[in-house]
Amino acid sequence: MPEPSTQRDLRLDFFRGVALFLIFIDHVPENVLSYFTLQAVGFYDAAEVFIFISGFTAALVYGARLASKGALYATAQVLRRAWQLYVAHIFLFVIFIAEVSYTASTFKNPMYNEEMRVADFLDEPHIAVVKALLLEFQPTFLDILPMYIVMLLIFPVVLLGMQRHWLLVLVPSALVYLAVQLLGIAVPAYPEGHVWFFNPLAWQFLFVAGALLGNPNMPGQATATMLRLAYPFALVIFAAATIIKLSWTIHGVWEPFPGLLLKVLWPVNKNNLSPLRLVPFFALAVLVALWVPRNARFLSSAIARPLIRCGQQSLEIFCLGILLSALGHFILSEYDSGIITQLAVNAAGILLMLLTARMIDWYKRMDRMPALQPAVAPGRQDRMAR
Amino acid sequence: MNLRFWLVPALAAVGAIITPALRAEQSQCEVPAELMQVSATLPHLAERLRAKQPVNIVAIGGASTKGAAAGSPDLAYPHRLQLALAESFPDSSITVINKGVPRQSTQQMLERFASDVMPEDPVLVIWETGIADAVRGIEVDDFAAALQNGIDEIKNRAIDIVLVDMQFSHSTAAVIDFERYLTTVRRVGDLNEVYVFPRFEMMRYWSEQNMFNFDEVAPEERARLAAKVYDCIGRKLAKAIRVAVQ
Repeated sequence: MPEPSTQRDLRLDFFRGVALFLIFIDHVPENVLSYFTLQAVGFYDAAEVFIFISGFTAALVYGARLASKGALYATAQVLRRAWQLYVAHIFLFVIFIAEVSYTASTFKNPMYNEEMRVADFLDEPHIAVVKALLLEFQPTFLDILPMYIVMLLIFPVVLLGMQRHWLLVLVPSALVYLAVQLLGIAVPAYPEGHVWFFNPLAWQFLFVAGALLGNPNMPGQATATMLRLAYPFALVIFAAATIIKLSWTIHGVWEPFPGLLLKVLWPVNKNNLSPLRLVPFFALAVLVALWVPRNARFLSSAIARPLIRCGQQSLEIFCLGILLSALGHFILSEYDSGIITQLAVNAAGILLMLLTARMIDWYKRMDRMPALQPAVAPGRQDRMAR
Repeated sequence: MNLRFWLVPALAAVGAIITPALRAEQSQCEVPAELMQVSATLPHLAERLRAKQPVNIVAIGGASTKGAAAGSPDLAYPHRLQLALAESFPDSSITVINKGVPRQSTQQMLERFASDVMPEDPVLVIWETGIADAVRGIEVDDFAAALQNGIDEIKNRAIDIVLVDMQFSHSTAAVIDFERYLTTVRRVGDLNEVYVFPRFEMMRYWSEQNMFNFDEVAPEERARLAAKVYDCIGRKLAKAIRVAVQ
């Protein structure tokens, strides 16, 4: 999410770009393409990829700023980023309110009159809006940014802790994660009885794990040894988890196919980032780190470039993806839910995300360019144009 | 979600092309055969019916079980179900008791089992649930756990159970995310070998066939339309139960 630096690891941008597309696809309900996203083959989904890479990148970028310009500057930079996320979240919230208010005021179906209480908060907008500003009110799909904002708010502490010793960060983070798993601690939200969909006390562990691995002080040799040691375990865990989850997905479509261990393992908790999601995800991360070298040739291919660009503008593209998936849902439920429309909605959404990333990239490059004197006289330019 | 989601419109399109004349003749409750597949059985109900003994069925659920939208309890789906079952099984006296309370989550309904369900001595419980959970965004895990506890409680007392999933409505589809909850009900049913009546898909099909469209009718017509939908649901449920007791 932070601005590109010179020796950027393009794998991070590439996979974050991929995650953004997968998040968009998964957020369009009843979407045939969601059979081909991570969640169809893994207990984890694109949310894990997004948060892990965001932690990793944050450590790289702000770690470098900490080293060059000191703790105060790095902290200020992180907080500025958190503020940008906050503004983006409120923007999405306003659009959500518009959508729900419209639906509620044009609602005519008596069969749903008593149960259609999504618009309950319209009865007390003064409270709902304040709760949204406090990040306590998180309607569906508006739940990942609040968690990310909390991650960034704690990040300066993580960053400074990592400078001293990585265990100073890892141990408390892991203990909080374990406490959530054992005691089921949740963070309350609005309205009464709700909790944060992405429990920040659990998900912080993934973000911190990403940050520790992205920490520029981490000796490369140690990381390489660790990866090699983890390789066989990662391979086995990844294969087993993938086979099990794939069998569930097939079972969901075609019942006679057995869902392996379905009775024992399902449901896998997402709110609290169940170890069943976390461990196979780490296995995937190890495999990707080993199998996709930093200088992999495909990263400079014409196909990878637009994805990398999306990954580099991830805040804007993420917000756009949320809007587009709501719009896609609306089109599918209001007009036609056939497979052709589904594919068209996906294609249009992805295209818009690619074009927007390109546009933002262009703006940023223009902004970075020094203000040039006109190199040629206007008259001459005219002639050249002809 | 599954193949059904696009199979239904595909079938609808084929149906619309080849059988326009036939369709006018058919009852408007028709649904594709795909939606009427019943693999689970209802052994206790079957035994009772074979013995020609009286049968009590409890329909526990939310607003759409209570059926206020149609204007009278006789027009709610449980009563329509009772009438349809009475036709199919004239030798048993069948009573369907309506225990619909609007806006309750699955957990809240579960807590009503002791007072509303068990005292009626049912041989079959029809549990219509999931709407309030989806509307309130209750955690899917908690939803699944409440369903599981309810199923266990009923099965342990040698009572049969049928689950009824959510209502479909065009306008809610854009603001409520039912998908996760639908998947969860289906999966819980699948794991427990409990029949899940696919109300959501049926209503979606009817909606696509323009059998009911609340936006295009006068306010006073809406109750009549709701009654029609409840009647269809009662009939289809009766048909599914007939298959399950065979």
